[in-house]
Order: sequence, then structure tokens, then C-alpha cells
Amino acid sequence: MTNIGVYICHCGTNIAGVVDVEGLTQKVAKLKDVSLAKDYKYMCSEPGQDLIREDIKNRNLDRVVVAACSPRMHENTYKKVLASAGLNPFLLEIANIREQASWVHLDKEKTTDKALDLIKMAVAKVRMDEPLTSLSANVIQRVLVIGAGIAGIQTSLDIANIGFDVVLVEKEQSIGGRMSQLGKTFPTLDCSACILTPKMVEVSLNPRIKLFTYSEVEEISGFIGNFKAKIRKKSRGLDESLCTGCGLCQEKCPTKVPSEYDEKMGKRKAIYTLFPQAVPNIPVIDRASCLYITKGKCGVCKKVCPAGAIDYERTDEFIEEEIGAVVVATGFDPFDPVSKEEYGFGIYRNVITGLQLERLLHAAGPTKGEVVRPSDGAIPKRIAFVQCVGSRDEHANKYCSRVCCMYAIKNALLIKEHHPESEIFIYYIDIRAFGKGYEEFYKRAQENGIKFMRGRVAEIFEEQKSRNPVIRADDTLLGMVTENELDMVVLSVGMIPRSDSSKIQKMLGLAASPDGFFMEAHAKLRPVDTLVDGVFLAGTAQGPKDIPDTVAQAKGAASGALEVISHKTLQLSPLISEVDERLCRGCGDCKDVCEYGAIEIVTLDTHKVARINPAICKGCGACAVACCNGSIKLRNYTDSITFAMLDATLGGAV
Amino acid sequence: MKEYATFLGCIIPNRYPGIEATSTSILKYFDIELLPINGASCCPAPGVFSCFHLESWLAIAARNIAIGEETGQDIVTMCNGCYGSLAEANHLLNGNKELKDKINEILSKVGCEFKGNSKIKHMIEVFSEDIGVKKIQESMKNTLDGIKVCTHYGCHFLKPSEIKKHGSSERPRFLDDIVRATGAESIDYKDKTMCCGFGGGVRAKDIDVTLDFTREKLKNIILAGGDCIVDQCASCHLEFDRGQAEIKKIYGEEFRLPVLYFTQLIGLGLGMEQKKLGLEFQNIPAQSLLDKINGGRK
Amino acid sequence: MTEFSPRIVAFCCNWCSYVGADLAGTSRLKYPDNIRIMRVMCSGQVFPSYILKALELGADGVLVAGCHIGDCHYVSGNKKAQERVETLLRVMKTLGLDPRRVRLEWISASEGMKFASTVKEFVEEIKELGPNLLGVR
Ligand SMILES: Cc1cc2nc3c(=O)[nH]c(=O)nc-3n(C[C@H](O)[C@H](O)[C@H](O)COP(=O)(O)OP(=O)(O)OC[C@H]3O[C@@H](n4cnc5c(N)ncnc54)[C@H](O)[C@@H]3O)c2cc1C
Ligand code: FES
Repeated sequence: MTNIGVYICHCGTNIAGVVDVEGLTQKVAKLKDVSLAKDYKYMCSEPGQDLIREDIKNRNLDRVVVAACSPRMHENTYKKVLASAGLNPFLLEIANIREQASWVHLDKEKTTDKALDLIKMAVAKVRMDEPLTSLSANVIQRVLVIGAGIAGIQTSLDIANIGFDVVLVEKEQSIGGRMSQLGKTFPTLDCSACILTPKMVEVSLNPRIKLFTYSEVEEISGFIGNFKAKIRKKSRGLDESLCTGCGLCQEKCPTKVPSEYDEKMGKRKAIYTLFPQAVPNIPVIDRASCLYITKGKCGVCKKVCPAGAIDYERTDEFIEEEIGAVVVATGFDPFDPVSKEEYGFGIYRNVITGLQLERLLHAAGPTKGEVVRPSDGAIPKRIAFVQCVGSRDEHANKYCSRVCCMYAIKNALLIKEHHPESEIFIYYIDIRAFGKGYEEFYKRAQENGIKFMRGRVAEIFEEQKSRNPVIRADDTLLGMVTENELDMVVLSVGMIPRSDSSKIQKMLGLAASPDGFFMEAHAKLRPVDTLVDGVFLAGTAQGPKDIPDTVAQAKGAASGALEVISHKTLQLSPLISEVDERLCRGCGDCKDVCEYGAIEIVTLDTHKVARINPAICKGCGACAVACCNGSIKLRNYTDSITFAMLDATLGGAV
Repeated sequence: MKEYATFLGCIIPNRYPGIEATSTSILKYFDIELLPINGASCCPAPGVFSCFHLESWLAIAARNIAIGEETGQDIVTMCNGCYGSLAEANHLLNGNKELKDKINEILSKVGCEFKGNSKIKHMIEVFSEDIGVKKIQESMKNTLDGIKVCTHYGCHFLKPSEIKKHGSSERPRFLDDIVRATGAESIDYKDKTMCCGFGGGVRAKDIDVTLDFTREKLKNIILAGGDCIVDQCASCHLEFDRGQAEIKKIYGEEFRLPVLYFTQLIGLGLGMEQKKLGLEFQNIPAQSLLDKINGGRK
Repeated sequence: MTEFSPRIVAFCCNWCSYVGADLAGTSRLKYPDNIRIMRVMCSGQVFPSYILKALELGADGVLVAGCHIGDCHYVSGNKKAQERVETLLRVMKTLGLDPRRVRLEWISASEGMKFASTVKEFVEEIKELGPNLLGVR
């Protein structure tokens, strides 16, 4: 015998204003299996909840329907009420008579009819709902962090300092990311290395952080709490355990090629570290330019290495790691301005990017901090910055990259400090100085005589003899087209998603936002989570950010990951699909439609059957529809329940 | 033999018959036949008309395409303006069924139907893609060595680049490649991709503004040391040629810079009879250039 | 004779369209009361037989609503729904059912307006089609 209690909420006048709640309650009380129906002014209030709780206990209710606001508002509230009264929380249904009835219709009689129908449907469903219990799974209490820029570094340190293990995988040969390329940082003009290197050293010394550099994650399988990652540790062409980082090999290597790390503003050797404070301080042999590897000649590094560490033939290694949560902190790429043809980058030598300027301004950079013109090495006296290159642009990226205004102002100030006589112009559309201390910083630049020119730069051309770039721009404050001959132009390039980000995206099943960056689970309320349980985002991998925002998000991602792995076990939603193995013939159609790889076909003694991994299944029901035998059911969303609900509203059955 | 339906537009038959004559006979040399489109009207001009009344503009352009399509061939134009109109109309109509139906309803009144089966091509594409730079180079009889050419691409062939898709719209190269194939030197000059001044109906409304543009371009070319302009558009051609005469009349400034359509330059290289190039119908004599070429030959 | 008032069932996915319908409510948009919404986890969870059953029981119209293509909470459920519904529409003709009675729409969580206008439109269309004869018992 089923004892269903139905509770109808007035929601003040929100429902009662349009629905005849008293009349409705009387009708509902007569429905089959409904042993009581009650109405109350605010069902979600404490007394409302008590009403339900007491009835469950005293009147032996075994199922409950609440007719009130959308289940998205209070389903969980009422589930807790059921649980506290000792009733399985899955034996609850909500009839949405506010958002989907009283708020969208005006006619009292018809809306009341509709509310009755919605309640009938809920009664039909709850009658057949099964009690479900959450499953628990063991959790591997370690976190994988992919990418060791400032975001990955911060996340790793936070997790390790709380006492959990971290596997940190960095693609490049040193950790540090883009921040290590920067000279100084806005708005305080701290030297980037001075604030970053201590953290890098901390990573290398922390026993809880297992660091893989010059490595990439090749494969990830599993689910929240239980992931497996396959890591490729690329060969550096030497035995890392022997290398002491003395640097002799780099010194003696005869081959020089343009340095990617210096954004082609300087040269590096064929065996090289990225920068003097690299962590780990172990070089890599660039196989494309090493003379010994390409031509079989040279071999100088091997000869000079006092530790005998060089091993040209060394191959990549593969390592498997098990983890419970993943933080993606793979960062950004700078926008490549070659596609903005009108600016002549790559054609006019004295047009450079903001990141190239950072390398010039870096005390340990190719020019030891002196800003010089690429064409003749002269010190430029008239310099212009062009803002929003590749950002806020219909032809490139629509979004704002959020750091370019501030880094242009920063570098303008730094140059002005060095050479007060220089003339500096910043061509902008809007100056976005939104962060703490940023507007003040902008003001300081104005006071220091940096000239702000409002208007988008139309084009840049070159005076052939002097190699001086000339900016032609629409000055929207003067209302005229201006031309300005300069010694050097710096393009403030924005941020774009990393060129290889789709690999990570596919591997983890992440979504990408329209701008191409990884998508968060909710733009406002879940900005560090992803839609894949157990996977979090930190830093610019999720969208353009400056360092303070990156660090803040990295700390958020650490706390998200910790929330997962700080428990030994994990509760999984029981609202998932289930196979009736008596009916299953193991055809695998269900496996083909599952986006999560939750289904496996296993061979039993005589036949094959499909098995669903309850930890991976998300409960979308795709497999149930694909099954031609009807052997898969999505719990509490079965055919019979659906038919009963349809019958309740259409067939007049009760 | 390849065939194209030829859309001549207004300027070529009325003012610069040399452009058609040279192009037709050179194409014949390369085994490409140009078929006439009988009853074609003004394209009509891309920017101005379409701004005033898009549907009227589309209907007229669609009619021109429709009667061109009847030849069963792709349509070729020799003017960027005509190209702009026909190519943009073709693009709009083929991408929007509703619009296409609406325009065809209008066209049905004159017994015409736009099907959208033909490609709209520009003469420059026929030379750089169908014939190719290599073949042009190999057929040269006269050396144009030592001639300094300033090329002018014009706007409507390249832009809007989303629709036109001819590669780089800020630093295009194909016309320079053709110039180099003739043996002449293509030299860079300031504001090469700037408008000639003709466009947007400005010429009709505000001749001062138009000539201001033209003068600036001419000055930049002279400063760079150009012997002539080579263009690929009948409108730009008119602007530079007639514009020089007008500048002389109004401002008393004289440039005497010969203006050649690119096929006229190829014609010179092929050793075509100079009468056939139609240069004598132009305002600015090309004698200085011809002397330089002939001098070079000696 | 009373005016024909169609009975319409809507299957709305939990992550987009159901939320869109809620938003129509929170925004106090008005639409005809002929519709009964059934919450499904995903549009890809809707069996073709659910639609047929509804028609058999006399529904004058069935709306299946899911997230926009590319936005499905379960990656591709809506693509599956699209394939199934399109196939069903073809079969319906053969069965002597008017395919106009079934409609597939992509309505996101932020499209309360679209939800309301879809219902309005659909009800009008079904009114023109007249009652589903399977329902006249
Ligand atoms: C010119 C310029 C100047 C700037 N100046 C300032 C400033 O003054 N102040 C400020 O606050 N901000 C500044 N910024 C912004 C700042 O650089 C970023 O906020 C910061 O670097 C973001 O850090 P991140 O860790 O998110 O990304 P990144 O620094 O890009 O780090 C990502 C790391 O992940 C690694 N990685 C990528 N893919 C993989 C993979 N598949 N597997 C393993 N590892 C991977 C990368 O190698 C890299 O080490 C500037 C930016 C630019 C472009
Ligand atoms: S969850 Fe909305 S369609 Fe799949």
C-alpha cells in the first residue's frame, strides 16, 4: 500500500494569487494513493518543513510530492527533510507550479487545472520511483597539475603545503611559464624574477611535489577520485641524474640559433637552459640544431662534460601516475601579429611585440635590460605602443586580453625612467585600468609625460632610409588622421589559447568557450570548476588574466582539488543508468553512444554483457535509448514512469 | 579552348577600348576565348547603389549575371568595380535563399532568372591562375628590362576580404608578380594600397577630394621613381589618366605619368603593335615609356 | 461549440530548456497554458516511443527541447535527439501522422523569451492543424 503525501505551497501570493490552492488541495486529496494533501503559506520555511517531517513520521507517508517552486530552487531542501525523517530522499517529486504555472499564466481556473495535472504527473512518477542510495568510491589522494607557470606553481604549493601529494607536469625544460619571461610587473614594478624564483625553488624543494619537466601528459583515463595519467618524459639528450648544471656544455657549444624563449631577440646554443635560474637547472639538447645529431660531427658537449652526463641516444620515458583530481594550468600564447598585415610585423624590423620588449627590458635578457632597435642597435628615442593588437578586433579576437593596457604603461614608464628624454606614445581605444592600484598607475604614467593618443592605428609603414616606422592613426580626440614617425613601435599583443590546447581539451573532455579558452562550469559561481568532475582550471588557460587574478584562481583551483582528494571516499550520484544483465546480449550499441567511456563489454562464460561503471556514468540516458533490447534503464526515468506520467496528464488515468 | 562570358561594364567600351582590345587579343594568343554578354547594363557600381537601395542594386547585378550565365561559362570582368558588384551580388544571393527568391521574382518581370551557377572572375585571375606567371614569362618577346613600374591594385577586388578571399588584402603580390614576369621591375612606393580617389561616388560629388587622393598617389609614385602606373581596374585607370588631365587644368600641376592596364604592359612585352594597345585614346601620352623600352632594345 | 484547446506535452532537458522555461516564469512572460512540461535529463534521453505514446494518448503536439548543438551537458545528447526526431518525422508520414505535431527546438537556459515564444507559436500552429484524431475516443 502506497501512502503519498502531497504538499501544496501558496508561496505567499506567488502561487495562491493565480491558483485556487484550497480547491486544488481538495481535489488532490482524492487522487489514488494520496493519503493526505495539505497546503501551507511557505512550504520551504521551517514550520513548512516540520509539517512534512511530522507527517512522514506520524502518518507513515512513504512518498512525498511537493507542489511549489521549481525543483531547481528547493529540491535539495525537501530531500533533506525526507532524509531527516528517515525516508529515502529519492522518493520525492516536485510539481513546478510556480515558474511553470502561476508565473506564466493569468486565468485562475485554467492555471489551477494545469497545476492539478502537474501534481497528477508527479504523483504518477513518485509512485514508481525507486529508493536509491549514493555509491561511494575510493579516492586517490593526489593531484595532477598540468603546466607550471605561476598558476600551476601556486596550485601545487598550496596543495603540498596542506599536506597532500602533487604530480606537477611541465612541458618546457624549466618551470616558470610566461612570467619568467617578463622584466618587471605592474603595478608595483617588482622584478618578475625576484618574486617568481623563490616560488620555483620552493617547488623543487618540496618533498610532496613530484616534478616532471620537459614532459607531457599523453593520456588520461578514469574518473573523479580515480584518474590514471600517462606521462611522456622527453629525452633531454643527457642523463639528468648525473648532470650538475655546471653550464660548461652551453659555454662550449659552437652552434647558435635564435632563442624562442627570448622571442627571437637573442640567440641560444644547441644545448641550452632557458634562463640562468631555471628549475631544474639542467640543459636540453635541441635535436634540430645539434651538429652531432644532425651531421654526426662536433660532440663537444660530450667531451667537455665533467660528469659524463651527455647521452645523445637517450630515448623518451613513459611513466604512469594515479591521481584523484586534475588541475589544468596550461596558460596562454601571445597573439601572433603577422596576421594583422597593416602593422607590418615581420616586415619592418623596428616593429616588435610587447613580449619581445619584455625580453629586452629583462636584466638577464639578450641585451641585459637595454632597449635597442633591432635594425641598427641604436637606442630608440621615440617609441609608440599600439594597443589591442589582436584583441577587441572583429578580424582577430573579440575579447579584451586584460593585461595589454597595463603592461604597455608599465614598459613605457620603465623606458622613461631609463631615458627621461625619450618620447613615448600609447595609441589606445580605451585604457582599461580595472585592478587594484591600476588607475593610480595609469595616472602616474600621464604625469610622467607619456602621451596617450586615443584612436585605433590604421596602419604602419616604413621610411625606407631611416627604417623608422610611421604610424598613421585616426586621432579621435583631435578628429583627424595623424602621422607619427618613430624609432620603434611596440605592438601590445593580446593573449590567445595555446596552439596545442585542443589536445588537452580532448584528453580530458573539457569544453571550450567561444573565445577558445577552456570553459568553466559556471561563469560566475563555478569559475574554477569544469563540467568534468574532478578537473579544475587555473590561470590563463581559462581566459586572459594578469598575475594577481591568476594566483587567486590558482588558489581556488587548489581548494577545489583539495575538496575532492581530502576525503578517502567519495559519494557518487545514484541517478545513473543500469543494465539488466538477463536481457543484455552484449551488442555494444550502448558503448558506442556513451561519451564518457563508462560502458565496458565484458565476456562472461557463455555470452557478453554490458557493464556500466557507476563512477563514470553521468546519467544522461543516451545508452538507454540506444539499447534495442530495453535492457538499460536510467534510474527513476524509465519508460514505464514516463508512460505513467503521460497517462496521468493525457489519458485521464490517476 | 577555354571560354569566358565577358562583362565589359561602362568605362571600357566608352573610354578605354584599348583595355578590351589588348586583353582579347592576348587571351586569344593563350587560347582563351571571350564571349560577349548581349544586353548587359551598368554593373551597377558597388558601393553607392547598394547603400541607397540594396534590392534594386541586387536586381540589376543579378540580371547581368543571369544573362551572362546563359553562355554556360564563368563570367570575367576587367574592372574592379564591376567585379565588386557582380561578385558581391553573387555571394549574397547564393548565401540567402529568401533573398534569391525575392530577386528572382523581380527578374521574372523581364523574363530572367538568376541561378548562381557561374563564378565571377576578374581578368587578373585569368592571367595569374589560368595562364600563370611562368607561361607569361616564357612568351615575352620584348624585354621590359629597366622599366620601373608602380602597381596599383585598387580596392574592390581585394576588399571586403571576407568575401573576396584573394589572400593578403594589405600586401598583395599577384599583380607585382605579373609585372616581374614581363621583365619590368616592380617598385614599392608609399601608400601603395591607398584608394585612387575614384571610389564611393566621390568623383561625381566632390572632385576636389577625389583629385586630392589621386595627386597624393601620383606624387608618391614619382618620388619612388616609377616610370608608369600599372593597374587592373578600368575605374582606377580612368582616375589616374583623366585625373592627371584634370589636375593639370585645375591646379596647373603636371605629372605626365603613363597609365597602363596590366594587359597593355603584357602586350608591350609580347611585342604587340602599339596601335593595338589603344594608348593613343588615353589622356596621358605613353611616349616617354615607349621610348625607354625602344631605347632599351637598342 | 467550444474553441479547440490543444494539449501539448514538452520534454525539456534538465540543463537548458527546463531552466529556460523556469526563466520565462521568473521573467513573468506569459504563454498559453496548454503545455505540460516533463523534465528529462537530456534531450538525448527522449525515446521516439515517448513521442509516439504521447500522440497515441491524444496529445495534439509534442515539443522536444534541448540545449543548442555544441552545448549539451552530456556533449552530444542533442545531436542524437536530432537524428532520432528527424527519423521519426519521416516515419510519422508513413504512419499517417502529421509530422507538424512534433517539434524539436534548441532553447538555452538564458532563452526564457524563446521558450515562451516557441510555445505561443506551436500552440497557434496546432490550433490550425486541429485536434489529433487519435485522441478522440
Ligand atoms: C607581454 C606581457 C606582459 C605581461 N606583464 C604582466 C605584468 O606586468 N603583471 C601581471 O600581473 N601580468 C602580466 N602579464 C600576464 C602574465 O604573463 C600572466 O598572467 C601569467 O603569466 C599567467 O600565468 P599562467 O600560469 O596562467 O600561464 P603561463 O605563464 O603561460 O604558464 C603555463 C605553463 O604551462 C605549460 N604548459 C602548457 N601546455 C602544457 C602541456 N600540455 N603540458 C604541460 N605543460 C604545459 C607552459 O609551458 C607554461 O610553463 C603579461 C603578459 C604579457 C603577454
Ligand atoms: S543536456 Fe540539454 S540537450 Fe543534453
